[in-house]
Formats: sequence, C-alpha cells, structure tokens
Amino acid sequence: MMRADSTGVGASAQRVGGYGRVTGLQQYLADIRLPDVLHVKLVTLDCARAKIRSIDTTAAKQVPGVRLVMTAADLPQPVPRFGPQFQDRPILADRETKYHGEPIAAVAAETKDAAEEAAELVQVEHEVLSGGVFSVADALNPASPLVCDPALRPDDPLADTNTRREHRFGWGDVEAAPADLVVENSYEFPMVTHFAIEPHGFMAAPDGNGIAVWSTIQHPYLLQKMIGQILDLPLAKVRVFAPDPGGGFGGKQNPKLEPLLAFMALRTGRPVRLILTLDETFQAVRRSSAEVRVRTGFKNDGTLVFEDFEANFLAGAYIDIADRVVSKGSYLAAGPYRVPAVRILARTLLSHLPPSTAFRGFGIPQVTWARESNLDEGARVLGIDRLELRLRNLAHRGEEFVPGDTPADGNWKETVQKAADLIGWGTPLPPGRGRGLAIGVKSGPTTGLSYSTVRLLADGSVLVYSGTSDMGQGARTVFAQVASEELGIPLERISVVMGDTSVVPYDQQTSASRSSVLMGNAVLRACRSIQAQLQALAARLYDIDEAEIEVRKGLVRLPDRTIPMVEVLEAGLGRLGGELTGHGEMRKDAVPDHPLGGTAAFFEFNCTAIELEVDPETGHINIVRHVTVSDVGRALNPIQVAGQDDGAAIMGLGHTIMEHIILDEEGRIRNIGAIDYRIPTSLDLPQELVSASIENADGPGPYGVKGISEGALLAVSPAVAAAVTEATGLIIRDLPLTPQRVWEAMRDSAKEAG
Amino acid sequence: MRGFQYARPVTVGEAVALLDEYGPDARLLAGGTDLVIGFRDGSIRPKVVIDLKRISELRPSIEHTGESISISACAVMTDIVEHAGVREHFPALVEAAQVVGSVQIRNRATLAGNICNGSPAADTAPPLLVYDAMVAVSGPTGARRMPIDEFIVGPKRVALERGELVTAIELPIPDPPIGSAYTRLTRRWGTDLASITLCCGVDGAGVTRLAYGSVGPRAFLVVDESGILADPHMSDDAKAPLLDRMFAEATPSPRSMRASPEYRLAMLRVLGARALRTAIGRLPKGSTT
Amino acid sequence: MSDMLQIEVKVNGAQRLIDVAVHHTLLDVLRDDLELTGTKECCVVGECGACTVLVDGRAMNSCLMLAVEVDGSEVTTVEGLATDGRLSPLQEAFLDAGAAQCGFCISGQLMAAHALLSRIPHPTVEEVNEGLAGNLCRCAGYEQITQAVLMAAEGGDR
Repeated sequence: MMRADSTGVGASAQRVGGYGRVTGLQQYLADIRLPDVLHVKLVTLDCARAKIRSIDTTAAKQVPGVRLVMTAADLPQPVPRFGPQFQDRPILADRETKYHGEPIAAVAAETKDAAEEAAELVQVEHEVLSGGVFSVADALNPASPLVCDPALRPDDPLADTNTRREHRFGWGDVEAAPADLVVENSYEFPMVTHFAIEPHGFMAAPDGNGIAVWSTIQHPYLLQKMIGQILDLPLAKVRVFAPDPGGGFGGKQNPKLEPLLAFMALRTGRPVRLILTLDETFQAVRRSSAEVRVRTGFKNDGTLVFEDFEANFLAGAYIDIADRVVSKGSYLAAGPYRVPAVRILARTLLSHLPPSTAFRGFGIPQVTWARESNLDEGARVLGIDRLELRLRNLAHRGEEFVPGDTPADGNWKETVQKAADLIGWGTPLPPGRGRGLAIGVKSGPTTGLSYSTVRLLADGSVLVYSGTSDMGQGARTVFAQVASEELGIPLERISVVMGDTSVVPYDQQTSASRSSVLMGNAVLRACRSIQAQLQALAARLYDIDEAEIEVRKGLVRLPDRTIPMVEVLEAGLGRLGGELTGHGEMRKDAVPDHPLGGTAAFFEFNCTAIELEVDPETGHINIVRHVTVSDVGRALNPIQVAGQDDGAAIMGLGHTIMEHIILDEEGRIRNIGAIDYRIPTSLDLPQELVSASIENADGPGPYGVKGISEGALLAVSPAVAAAVTEATGLIIRDLPLTPQRVWEAMRDSAKEAG
Repeated sequence: MRGFQYARPVTVGEAVALLDEYGPDARLLAGGTDLVIGFRDGSIRPKVVIDLKRISELRPSIEHTGESISISACAVMTDIVEHAGVREHFPALVEAAQVVGSVQIRNRATLAGNICNGSPAADTAPPLLVYDAMVAVSGPTGARRMPIDEFIVGPKRVALERGELVTAIELPIPDPPIGSAYTRLTRRWGTDLASITLCCGVDGAGVTRLAYGSVGPRAFLVVDESGILADPHMSDDAKAPLLDRMFAEATPSPRSMRASPEYRLAMLRVLGARALRTAIGRLPKGSTT
Repeated sequence: MSDMLQIEVKVNGAQRLIDVAVHHTLLDVLRDDLELTGTKECCVVGECGACTVLVDGRAMNSCLMLAVEVDGSEVTTVEGLATDGRLSPLQEAFLDAGAAQCGFCISGQLMAAHALLSRIPHPTVEEVNEGLAGNLCRCAGYEQITQAVLMAAEGGDR
C-alpha cells in the first residue's frame, strides 16, 4: 500500500541527514578536526613509469614544521602490499613507480603549507622507463614490459603476460548455432573517472594500543580487516570511522591510502590527515576502459541464436577490484535475453595507468554498449523494429536466462513497454530527430552479510545501527522508514547511526545497490525481533497467551483491545526504564561452484529511451527527451528513487557524450582536474528527463524492494547512439559521442558518398 | 600555495612604482580567477602580489561619455553584462562576457584581466577587436592609449612595458551603428573554455569585421570591404570562399586536446557564417547598403 | 607589505578581526581559521562551485580569492542562511524537493541559488539552470535542485 501521507514505506519522506546537508553542519571527513593533527602531502613523479634510484629527504626535513618524511625504506620490509582481490599494491612505491601519480613518499607537517613545500623538496633520483603499457593493444603485445612482477604471481600461467586474469563464461555451442545473419563489430568504451565532489580523504591516529582510521570509504569493515592484517592488530583494536561520503559511485569502495596514513600515525605518534585534491583523485580511481568485440547471430525473424563476446578491459597498475568488475560485468554480457548459445571471453589487462576500480554499473555499461548497439545493427539489416526485436527475445519472469543462475525476477516486458510508450516509440518522428532504446541488466550482490541492531528506547524513540555508508543514495532514510513502518514511530523520533566500527555491527559492504535489500532486511528483522519481545512483554503484563497478541505498526493488539506500543513498553520496562534491543541478520550465501561465487540476489533492470537531434553542421547532440524506466520492485521512497535514477541517467550521459580521460604518450592524464575533464552541468541536461519506476513488489528486500541506483546508467550509451544513427544515418562505435566525433563521422560519410 | 608579499596600493602611481621595482616578480591582482589557479599549481610564483582593487581610479565603473564607453580595470563581467549602454551598443561584448565561466566567475573576473592574461581563447578579445577598443595604460613614463589589436601580442603576452598597467578599456560607440554577434565552440553547453571564439560586425557601408580566437597564438581581426559578406541577399554558398580566406590566419594546434585542427577549421566556417547572419540581422533597419 | 595581515570581515552578520596569511584563500580561512566547514573544497579552480559564498551579496568562488581581498567586506556562508536555528525557505525547499543527495555540493548550490533569487525573485527554469551552471552535482540531482529553487521562489519572500 502506498502511504504517501506518512513517513513509512512508500512515502517521499525528507532525507534523514538532510538538515545537516542544507545547513553546512554535516561533518564530512575533511570537516573533522583532530587535535594536534599533522597534515600529509604525497610525493609523486611527473612520469608514469620510473626506476627509483634513491630518495633524498634532507631538504624536505629542514622545512620548519616537518615531522616526518616517509619513504618505502621506513616501512616493514618487504613493503607490505594489499588489495581487495590481490595483494599487489605497495603502501608506497617500492623501487619502481608504475603509474603517474603513484605515491613515492609522504610528508607529515604541522601545516598544510609546510607539507606542500617539503613535498616539493623531496629529491627522487630516478630513471624514466620508456615503453609503458597504456592501451589494450600495448597490454596484449607480447613485446611490452610486464606491469606486474611475475614473482608476485606464483603458480599463475599468465604471469609472463599483462593479462591478469581471463574469464570464460557461456553455454550452448556458438559454433554450431545456425544463424541466418551474423553481425560482428567492435565497440570502445572510454576511460572515465568518478569525480565525486568530495575528494577522497583519510586520517589516522594512535588509539591506545590500537589505531583509529577515518576514511571516506564505502566499506568500513573491509578497511578494518585490511588494517588489522597489515598492522597485525586484532579487529577490536582497529576502529574505523566512516563519515557519510560526499559521493562514492564505487570509487570509495576499497582502501587506498589508509594503510600509509596508519603507518605515519604510528610512526609520529600523532593524528595525521590527508585530503586528496580533485586532481589526485583522477590518479586514484577510474573506470576501466574497454574494447568489446561482439558477434551476434540472428534468425531472419529476429530471434537470437547466439552471442559471442571478447571483452578486453584495461585495468591499472594494481588491480584493486577491477578484475571482479570484469568477471561480474562480462558474465551478464548477453543481457536479459533468451539466447541458446553464448560464449564470453573477458580479460583483465594490466597497464601503467592509475588503478581502475568499481564504478556505478560495475562493468555492465561497457558490455551493454556493445551488445545493445549490435542488436540495433541486426534489427536494421533484418528490417525488424528495434523494440520488437528486443521484446521477442526478452526473458519472461522466471526464465533462467543465464543457466544455473537466478531466473528473471521481474515483468521486464512491462518496463520496456513503458519506456517505449513514454518516448512515443512508433509515433512519427519530427524531421532531423532520432530515437533509440536500449536495455541494461545488472546482477545485484552475489554474496552478502549485513547485521543491524535496533534499540527501542524507553520513551518510544528508536536508534537504528547500520554499517552501511550513506553516500547520497539515502540509506539512512530508507532504514528509518523501515523502522517507522514496523514500529509505528514517526521519523523524527528515529536516529540512524552509521560510520563507526566500534558502534555499529558488521556489514560486508555498501556496493552493488545492495543496502535497501540486504541491510534493509537486517533492519526489518531487528524490528521484528523487537515486536516479538513486545509480544512477550504484553503476554506477561496482561497474562494473555502470546499467540493471541499481535504487534504491528506501533500497536499491540490484544483479543479485547488495542494498546499503543509505548504504553506496553513503559509498563513492561517499569521504573528502571531500559530498552528493547533487536538484532537482525541478512545473509546472501556463497554458492561454491558458481562462476561468480554466488547467484544474483536480484537484478537491476532498466530500459532507457532517447529522442534527440544532431546539429548537422557542428555534430552537437541535443537530447530532447530522455526516458529511464527501472524495475525497482517497490519504491520505499519515491523521491529518492527518482533522484538516484535522474542522477544515474545524467552520469550515463556523461560518458556517452563528453567524458573521457585523455592520455599523453607517456601515460599521463592530460585533462586532469575540473577544467578539461567535462562532466554534465545544469546546462547539459536533456530538455526533458523522465524517470519512471515499475513497482510489482517482487524484490527480495523489505516489502518487495530491489536495489536501484545503477540501472538508469547502464543503457544510456547505446540508446543515445541508436538515436544518433536514426537522426543522421551514422553508426559510431566509439564513445564519447563528442561534437567532434559526430562531426568526423558525418564528414567521413559525406566523403564516402562522394 | 607558496607564500608571497601582498601590496594594496591606493593610487595608480603607487602600483606603477611597485611594478617597476619588482618587474617580473610582481603580479597584478584584479579578479584573480586565473591568477590564483596559477599560484596554487605553482605555475605563477610571484614575490609580490599587487591588489588593484583599493585604487580609487580603477574602482569598478563603466562610464558612458556619449562618444565612447570606458570600462575600468576592476569592472567585472557581471557589471558589463548588466550595463544598459554596453548592452545597447556592444551586444557582442555582452554575449562574450556572459559566457566567461559561471556566475561566480563573472562576479569576479575583470575585462582587463581577461585581456591581460593574453590567453588566445579569451572570450572578450574578438568583440574588443571588432569594436576597435582602445586600451588605456599607465606606467612610469605616464599614460598612453593603444588599439587593442596592437595590445594583444601572443600567448600570455600583451604590449605592456615594465611598470605598466591597464587602467581602462575604451569602446568607441560605432557611428554609424553596426550589427554584431559573438559565438563560440565548446565541448559542452555548460561553462567551458572555447575551442573557437568568434565575433562578427557589419556596418551599413558593407564593411565586415571578423575576429576569431583560440585557433592560433592570439585572436585575429580581419576586415572585408568588398561588401560581399555583409550583403544580406547573397547566399551562404556565394560567401563561403571569401569567408574561408578570412580565416587564413587560423593555425590551430594539433596538440590541443580540446578539438582537432580539422574540426576547428571546419567549425570556423560554420560559426563564421552563423555569426555573420546574426550580425546582419542585427544591423539597424535602414542602414543596409 | 607583509605576509600576514589583519583583516576586518563581517561573517554571517558578525564583525570579525582575523589575522590571515596573505597567500591563503578565503576558502582556507573560512574552513581552517574560522572553522566554518560548511563551505566545501573540491576542484580549487573555480569550476565546481562547492566553495561558493556571498561576498557583499554576490556569489563567488572562495577558492579563487585571497582572504585579504575581502577585508572590509561582508561574507555569507551556508552557515549564515538559517536564522535562529530556523531554516530559510530555500533550505526548506531543498529538503522538500529531495535536492540534497550526498550533499557535498549543496552548500555551494544553496549560496548560488540564494544569490540568484536575490537578483531574480521569480526565475524561469532556464534562468535557474544558468544561475547554477557553476555548481557541479555529481549525484546529478539537477532536476530536484532546480525544482527546489523554483519552489522557494513560488513561496514568495525568502
């Protein structure tokens, strides 16, 4: 039931934490002042790849206020390495830098000015190494230097290559599949960066015989584990503070410089603080660029016969989580369709570039760009309507479109049809315009573990504890709404506590659009535990059999009367007061022989439809209407769902029409920072943006919710490109579709036409 | 950011004396929207920063004298955009000032600073060239005025001698009136550095003045007196060869990451034709030849 | 000339005398010296607008100004928008419209919007988009931010 007039489920309740965000009182990491803190500045080289001969810190140490200049030599030997997938990233560059911006040393000083001045005075004698690996072609070239020392890859048959891992998925026999038409093309997806408005920040301080670490991280408990391992400390001695990130988008999932800061704090015995510049974040996180070759086999009626992918993802010098992005993204390359034969080969390639990591969509935007564009090409050749072709092959609810995995968990046709209706698919097109429509599907989490504690205090107010990071997706609000719904307590009387591993119970991570589903269920279960305790309390108080008592939405229903929960609580707790505490746990267990380690908890399914026009002289794209429809199961908070979908759609437009990292010949980012890396502004929006949801309450989360926030980004590129094709007749297989690129395609096609 | 000394003179004379004393080690601060970026990234490391905003002669002002409009060194883009006289007589300058950065930048960035930076992509350079602006300069040997076309020299270079500073930019009111328009090429619709800046002015006698920047070491001014370009009855195709010749000075850098030379050259023609049409359309009725 | 200077600034209505390093930006001084951390630091090149404050009523990027330049001026930061703990209608509208997501850009958005509404009390959508074009939102909640500004304008005097 929609209850738009309340603060419970289905209400567009005001954001919990909103007050701090509109008053400037919200404390993001950089706003926290630690007494006696030292400011840290990183030392880097102006090249991607160099052999470090020696580091002279004498001059730097003489700058007044400098307390520490740390180099790899000051760390335990061999220099500890860490990473969420492979332990490949050294805490500071060890004898060699592998990408532009890799920290070689770090200065801690009493002031920012002193730290900056000293960082410039650190003398690094080094030899620039030529011939770096900066592209997919470089990485596949056997003559290229190896990015990763084979010694770090024991028992790895690929250790002598720059392929970190190869992933093969599929079913059926692609070679034997009888197609009437085979369409084969290659598509390129650009290297883009997260550009969270809050740059990453880190602090660390000695804490008794342990350590406290502050980070803009999305996964505080992963950070706790890694710091514990690196410093050989018990988990209970590693306290992680994770204030709400000012935007994460995946770029803040995994630890980066926290281990360095921890060593510096222990070495100086003082709190240390490092806030990256926006430019430095460009060298810290990005999305893998990709080249995806796809062969699609069709019958003449448009039925898919096979799909065959070879996807090369360009990761960085250290893997971070990039290889998981490759496996999880490419695994669903064939899309939400019924395809008898599928073959997928995906490679995670090492390069001398900044590490790539998770980024909203997690590998799916790259493969979706290729798959959906190729479907359109098939439809054009076959003379079949592009919508019709998709609907013909789309998996029905319950169909195992990937054999052995979670079946299609929604009425997906409804989503696609709604997008088509909203864009006016099939209606006459004004001259000069084109339409495109594309589908994206992404797995939710394949494993997960979330705990929540809910405390019902003596006055009937509520504390919800969660290890989720609220980075804008609105997790606090959603959890408060769940508690409000279950306990019948208004939102104003609920606080959601997050961001301190000494306070909140364990949560695996904030990623894969999981939190409403996994943590949401943990909160729900914690609330239900409280309800059960109230039931027991009422049974004792009124001497009634528990089975005859029902507790719902703040009311305790006895056979003869209904009592407000708070009355039962007060009477039950008695003069000493106290509280009821509920614990909730939600697991998504691993599946041992599953190629991804587990099945999808749910799917994020989206259909994006675009109408646009192209300036025939300049190549500028003008998006007239952008429709994005997501199957959300249930919108716990519709205004937040719309905000997330709008945002994902516009972020998708970013990599589709303007965003791309430009490298120089030496592997340095030329358009580093906000001046020449262009992201959408308020003047770059579609003339009309329509975000709609399909709500069939068929998700695994509370009240039927599925995860959201990534779906609306997945299929933007192919939808836009298809519309450009319809408007201009041009087929472009590289992104972004900048005015210059579109103009070049127009020029080339005019040349060909003679 | 590295430290420096900060000076806040209250007369032009004091500022000139400091500039003369420190030469290249001194930097003038008006709006600071480019300067502070340079301080922070280390590309500009002055010993002394001379803030011009306390000098009463340079205080933000736009003066309409009847024959010209004089814009003081500290007048910001927002002042220019909002000034009725500038809007009436110099609409292309308004169009250019209006796209210099965001509102926040335009509230701070000065016209004089935009020119003195010597950026080949300065938005206001083409309109100032088309409008034949004069630059008023003060220095150790006194005051002088020079045409904007002589003032702009090349990338990061203007014709200021040691100790000199710009006090005002003067725009003679076109007589007879002209039609003018400014346009630019960017990578997105939101604030951006232009890959082409272009201004066109046509007068009733058939003279077309075209200025364009961001495609060479500085913004160039070219003039067509044949009457062909200004002719509202002649087709774009007929004008194209002449327009192409007007862009002969364009030598866009192949090293730029903002746009390729081929694209810039092609877009010069497109934007040139568009600005020309707009300018002709804005020529006051009855003044066409 | 000196490298430290005492400046007199009215910050959010209160007159302050502050000793500042002459090379420190207004953003540095607001955040580090005055501990007004509502004003945010991101791009430091005047592109993102997270550091927007009002100086004598005009929106400016505090990352591109030296603190000494505001000597004698009046500076308003996001902390100055609410009066006596009561949110301004603009702040209320941001909450009602769901305009704040991660929230990191919101201080700057609010200041730019405040300046816009002072200049144009009843802006069109285009005027709002133009007025806020110097404020990047990577959550890309532009639709809801624009809606909030329009709602605040409709609500009449702020």
